[in-house]
Amino acid sequence: MKTINKIYTVLILFMLYAPILVLMLFSFNSTSNTGVFTGFSFYWYRELFRSAAAFAALKNTLVLAISSAVLSTLIGTMAAIGLRKMRNKYVKGLITSVTNIPMMNPDIVTGISMMLLFVFVGTMLGQQDKLNFWTLLIAHTTFNIPYVYLNVSPKFQQMDKHLPEAALDLGCTPLQAFFKVELPCIFSGIVTGFIIAFTMSLDDFVISYFCSGSDFQTLPILIYSMTKKEVTPDIYALSTLMIVAILTLLILSNLSGSKEERAKIRALRKKRAAARKEAKA
Amino acid sequence: MKQEKVIQLQNISKSFDGEKILNNINLYIRDKEFITLLGPSGCGKTTMLRLIAGFETPDEGTILFEGKPINDVPPYQRSVNTVFQKYALFPHLNVFENIAFGLRLKKLPEEQIRKQVKDMLALVNLKGFERRNVERLSGGQQQRVAIARALINHPKVLLLDEPLAALDLKLRKDMQVELKNMQKRTGITFIYVTHDQEEALSMSDTVMVIAEGEIQQIGTPTDIYNEPVNAFVADFIGESNILDGVMTADYKATFSGHTFDCVDSGFEKNEKVDIVVRPEDVDVVPCERGMLVGDVTGVTFKGVHYEIIVDIRGFKWMIQSTDYVAPGDHIGLSIDPDAIHVMKKSRFSNMFGDYSSFSDELEKLSDLSEEENE
Ligand SMILES: Nc1ncnc2c1ncn2[C@@H]1O[C@H](COP(=O)(O)OP(=O)(O)O)[C@@H](O)[C@H]1O
Ligand SMILES: [Mg+2]
Repeated sequence: MKTINKIYTVLILFMLYAPILVLMLFSFNSTSNTGVFTGFSFYWYRELFRSAAAFAALKNTLVLAISSAVLSTLIGTMAAIGLRKMRNKYVKGLITSVTNIPMMNPDIVTGISMMLLFVFVGTMLGQQDKLNFWTLLIAHTTFNIPYVYLNVSPKFQQMDKHLPEAALDLGCTPLQAFFKVELPCIFSGIVTGFIIAFTMSLDDFVISYFCSGSDFQTLPILIYSMTKKEVTPDIYALSTLMIVAILTLLILSNLSGSKEERAKIRALRKKRAAARKEAKA
Repeated sequence: MKQEKVIQLQNISKSFDGEKILNNINLYIRDKEFITLLGPSGCGKTTMLRLIAGFETPDEGTILFEGKPINDVPPYQRSVNTVFQKYALFPHLNVFENIAFGLRLKKLPEEQIRKQVKDMLALVNLKGFERRNVERLSGGQQQRVAIARALINHPKVLLLDEPLAALDLKLRKDMQVELKNMQKRTGITFIYVTHDQEEALSMSDTVMVIAEGEIQQIGTPTDIYNEPVNAFVADFIGESNILDGVMTADYKATFSGHTFDCVDSGFEKNEKVDIVVRPEDVDVVPCERGMLVGDVTGVTFKGVHYEIIVDIRGFKWMIQSTDYVAPGDHIGLSIDPDAIHVMKKSRFSNMFGDYSSFSDELEKLSDLSEEENE
């Protein structure tokens, strides 16, 4: 039974990741042949780095990811701070569900509705380029806020609610209590939220597709437009780089979380052992 | 000895969600004393501490600190520090930084901070723990850090909210002694909250018994034990047999069908009263010499003594005796005049005092549910 379980798991993982592995493999192909691996080379990576369009798109993507992650981290964290003391659980539940909607909503619906809004408002304001960097930034920040909120808000719930009072008791003003005690306690949540927001922004295609104009393209959009002509292995190279970047970030964010968990478990174990010792003594 | 009043509560009332938690509390706390607020779970002890610390504001009444009203003074400007029920140590700071927290806010020079923290660690027996992560300490050690973190600020008054409730029995006993010593050495006023009457009696200079949001009695541990003012206090502090009685004359109390000599006077003739007799003050004697006679219905061995339940005219008494009697025995009881304590009738009369439903199992159950309520 156990071996069947293992085989099953490996099979599923293989099916999930086979396409990506093939893509990575072919990004190192020496020719543009799609069916046969003719030899290992970095040719397509060199080719990619020579392309000005790819570089512009990479720069755009990074600028957008960083700025939208910063903005959404600020807004999401402030929302979590504002709602931390809310006692009415119905209102709180309502707010949490409303925050969840953008995550559950199909990207295509979010994308189209945002585009509609931007065009509508842009027309009202009499703008020429209705879709530009700023509309993309607004769109990305919007869909990122829930991820930040959902990472920060539980940190407040895990925190001993007497900690801010202990700080006041020892002489902190409410503002000092926040910065010296509450902020450090939720900081890991903020970092995780930021990394996830950054990753989501890097990763997004559908919403960006609807909300970007012709003069500000992100990597996913560039890749899509490149595939329209002819798929060349430099796209594989680009995709591989993105996968590696996103994977690294995800591992990082998981590590920052799990390190804490592990420390907690260790602390708990120690405490039990100590209690046993004390009981014996 | 005349001592200064550090804290006074005048006509303090506090409600939560329309429910009155504290009702017209009046009290004062003398400088350098160890006062304990004792009462069952939910009677408003924590709320009273939070009012003094400044985390809650009273609906009515005034809180005075050294004679000055402090209703509008925020917690960070009161020279009062708190040891929280679950310690509330800062998880992102190590032991040293937790204890140094208050001094850092005062911007003391580094060497001075280091020296004071070192002294504090010595005081609470945690030498060498500076760099430890507070989350990896045992309950008893966390407790000490919490005390050190508060004491280092040299508060006028230290508030302790059931600080030993989470510790196991032996550690709790040791910490009781240590806390008492710390209080004596530092000369800081301790306001100590507990629902454990034994703890209250053994540590305090003054005990204040609270029930249903009102102060029932304030006094020294001996006063409270020997002279409870009403049935609630008598029942809550130690074991007691509480009986309906009548004062037929000064120094004469009638209960359980017998008129006893007692040491109380000043009641009206034939005034109805509550009578308290502590289980350890009753002597078992042969029937013919007994002032009261009854049948033994239960005996439990307690180590030092036997706990004996005796049925006397339908009222179940508890008595403690070092001599064994068997269930079913017909025995006599004798009570000395100074073992009889007479109390005025109160709204707590007839709510306590009969051991008819008493069993160890029940007591354990109620202890458990009390712990769960914490
Ligand atoms: N912030 C609050 N909001 C609503 N009710 C409260 C609050 N604080 C305390 N209470 C209620 O007041 C009563 C007394 O609480 P507390 O002072 O904590 O009792 P104790 O410490 O004696 O166990 C309890 O019934 C509790 O539910
Ligand atoms: Mg309490």
